[in-house]
Amino acid sequence: MNHRVVITGLGMVSSIGVGREAFWENCLRGVSGIKPIQGFDVSSYRSRLGAQLPEIDFKAFIKPANLRRMDRIGKVVVSAVRLAIDDSGLNLKEEDSGRMGISIGTGLGSSDTVDQFFRSLLKEGPLGAAPLLFQTAVPNAITSHCAIEYGIKGVNITFSHKESSTEMAMTFAYHLLKEGRAEVLFAGGGDELSEPLYHVYSMLRALSPGRGKGTEGMRPFDQDRNGMVLGEGSGILVLETLEHANKRGAKVYAEMAGAGLSGSTDGLLRYDLKGDSIARSMTLAANDLQTVDYISAAANSTPDLDGGEARAIKKVFGKQAKELSISSLKSMLGEFDGSGGIRACGLALSLFHGIIPPTIGTEHLDPRCDLNLVLGQPKKKEIRSALLNGCSNGGSNISLWFKTYREGNTNK
Amino acid sequence: MKKRVVVTGLGVVSAVGNSLPEFWNSLIEGRDGTKEITVFDPSAYRTKIAAEVIHLDTEAHFSKKEIRRLSRCDQFGLIAFREAWKSARLNQNSHDNERVGVVLGAGSGGILSVEKYFRDYYQGAKKSSPSLLISYSLATTTDHIAIESGLKGPRTTTATVCSSSSASIGVAYDMIQMGLADVMVTGGSDSLCEVSYSGFSSLRLVDPENCKPFDKRRQGLVIGEGAGILIIEELEHALKRGVPVHAEFLGYGICADAYHLTAPEPNGEGVERVIRIALSHAGVSPEEVDTINAHGTATPFNDIAETRGIKRVFGERAKAIPISGIKSMVGHCLGSAGGIEAAAAVMTLETGIIPPTIHYEVPDPLCDLNYTPNQSIKKNVRVALSNSFAFGGNNVCLVFGKYLNCK
Repeated sequence: MNHRVVITGLGMVSSIGVGREAFWENCLRGVSGIKPIQGFDVSSYRSRLGAQLPEIDFKAFIKPANLRRMDRIGKVVVSAVRLAIDDSGLNLKEEDSGRMGISIGTGLGSSDTVDQFFRSLLKEGPLGAAPLLFQTAVPNAITSHCAIEYGIKGVNITFSHKESSTEMAMTFAYHLLKEGRAEVLFAGGGDELSEPLYHVYSMLRALSPGRGKGTEGMRPFDQDRNGMVLGEGSGILVLETLEHANKRGAKVYAEMAGAGLSGSTDGLLRYDLKGDSIARSMTLAANDLQTVDYISAAANSTPDLDGGEARAIKKVFGKQAKELSISSLKSMLGEFDGSGGIRACGLALSLFHGIIPPTIGTEHLDPRCDLNLVLGQPKKKEIRSALLNGCSNGGSNISLWFKTYREGNTNK
Repeated sequence: MKKRVVVTGLGVVSAVGNSLPEFWNSLIEGRDGTKEITVFDPSAYRTKIAAEVIHLDTEAHFSKKEIRRLSRCDQFGLIAFREAWKSARLNQNSHDNERVGVVLGAGSGGILSVEKYFRDYYQGAKKSSPSLLISYSLATTTDHIAIESGLKGPRTTTATVCSSSSASIGVAYDMIQMGLADVMVTGGSDSLCEVSYSGFSSLRLVDPENCKPFDKRRQGLVIGEGAGILIIEELEHALKRGVPVHAEFLGYGICADAYHLTAPEPNGEGVERVIRIALSHAGVSPEEVDTINAHGTATPFNDIAETRGIKRVFGERAKAIPISGIKSMVGHCLGSAGGIEAAAAVMTLETGIIPPTIHYEVPDPLCDLNYTPNQSIKKNVRVALSNSFAFGGNNVCLVFGKYLNCK
């Protein structure tokens, strides 16, 4: 007794736009969210860039009494949920709160609050450490904020597994809905670009321009790619069973039809170098690979991941690989552990409108990544189905399979 | 059709024993692992105790080079994993490694290492070693385990802190249900660190003396550390390998209070809901439940809410169900609490022994159930629940059953 799972609402707070319309317009125009870092001093680092959020008036989204208890990333994620609820047309008062839930992926939740708390501990000693900071320092605080703000009493879970955190959150939500263990789930994720996070990534040499020479920037699959640029933001999808969506006459953006997970073991900070694991997760996700017309890639401008993912795509699709359109939205949004939510929102819009946003920044396609990358201009194309990849260093690889929604087609 | 999932391996590192047999013996003897902290200097704190892991011979487990690279959390996780892996009779040829995955729960993760880095960095005392920052991600221990054994199945980490490793066991179970794996390594690992210790301390949730769940004198938790790792496996796969089965994992529930960032919903409504969801998912009626491994943190509010929630589900029969609060012995191990407590619940099903809640002397009229005070008891247990509740009202309840050949 499997239920079909559909996407009925999208909420995004991103560096290229807050809300579906602003985001999508800029996404299709290939607007970059990447700019020189503001708000903290990066002069001692080799990297200068980040895709930061604009100033946001959170009062427009969140009840004032609750706003006080939230740190910045809490506000960002709660706002993305608000946008998703509004977009879906759900009337929460009419829903069974126990059958609604939330599944979130994040790197650390609030890396900034953890840091502030730690510094208060260093400065003031244990007796001066600030309790209010600690309660929002836990990674699941962002998820709890959402549950409290909207009275969501069903499933509540937070995943943190590097760059595949959000894809996992969506996998879990999909599975529960498919089995009928919930009716409406908010799934997605978010992260913030804080100074301590920037510091850690920089010290681990993960940021462009990394060890290499060349200019700093995000250029997925480019032969001169040299590391990632960090981003931030939150993207939330309303996932619900088709029965429930139909009952309330909801607009359906797309259908979620599968998830594949696999692991690679190349090393703690290594991506799937050979692409075998990414290939396996794509194969496990889509039970009809021939209908895949578009892949929203995990490619984050690192030599290893982009190479591995390109190899995986060629391995799985063979000759079909050249016909597939590929795009990496990270080229505009930067990389962050919770990016999968925004990228999934983008993918749902691609399926709904039949348009694929471009990959920006890439000028000289790596001959080893000779894929059909959508460059420069968005591409109109009827998309039967599409994959979203999420791949973490350390080796958790997840692919999600989405289909254009058609009434009556069965989810075999 | 739901697949049947069984527990075939267990491994534990805890304040009361660094292997499953030592841990279990200590529990049934009611030994307290609370002691003065040595991992960091506690002198500036209001309280100075924790359930710290001691006598761990790391050099017997790891090379010098590995010890430098592994956080304390990684070390606990790997040691418990190796014990569980061996006890499940898994080896290089026993399985398809693409069908074996890892889902762990995390709390503080390797923050102890990260603290060391940032302390040096902010105080400018000396050059900090960036290799300490490898532990910045909560996924690190999960990845270490998968990489060490070449496990190429699904992999993720749950991050709901105090309920993380219970949630991870649920997620691991669903990986098997999704058909993505035959065997899953699950549970969690966590180590003491100043951020979490001072955090709970700043919220005045730490008892200065010891952990006294459900006792009227309780003042809060004692922070613990360690790892509890379970190998769960699709029944057919276990039978084909011919390995002993400890217990069956029947199902679980997960839900939210949606009430407050730190305080539990006081009437136990969230606790009731999560137990009911779990029983329904497991296909078990409340009458079949013979014991409950409580969350039992010994904070004033948690124990009342949990007691009320249990009474809301089981009614009059609640008083007849022996409840264990093993945090009185192993402390609150945060990200590994659910894994360690699940290991205890599984051992209870296997041995018919229910470990006690120790330091229980003065009954609280608001906590009026049978908490198995101070002495373990023998009872034939068919079904055991294990509760975990986290900050923000993130509730999880796991349902384990005695393994029977037919069902």
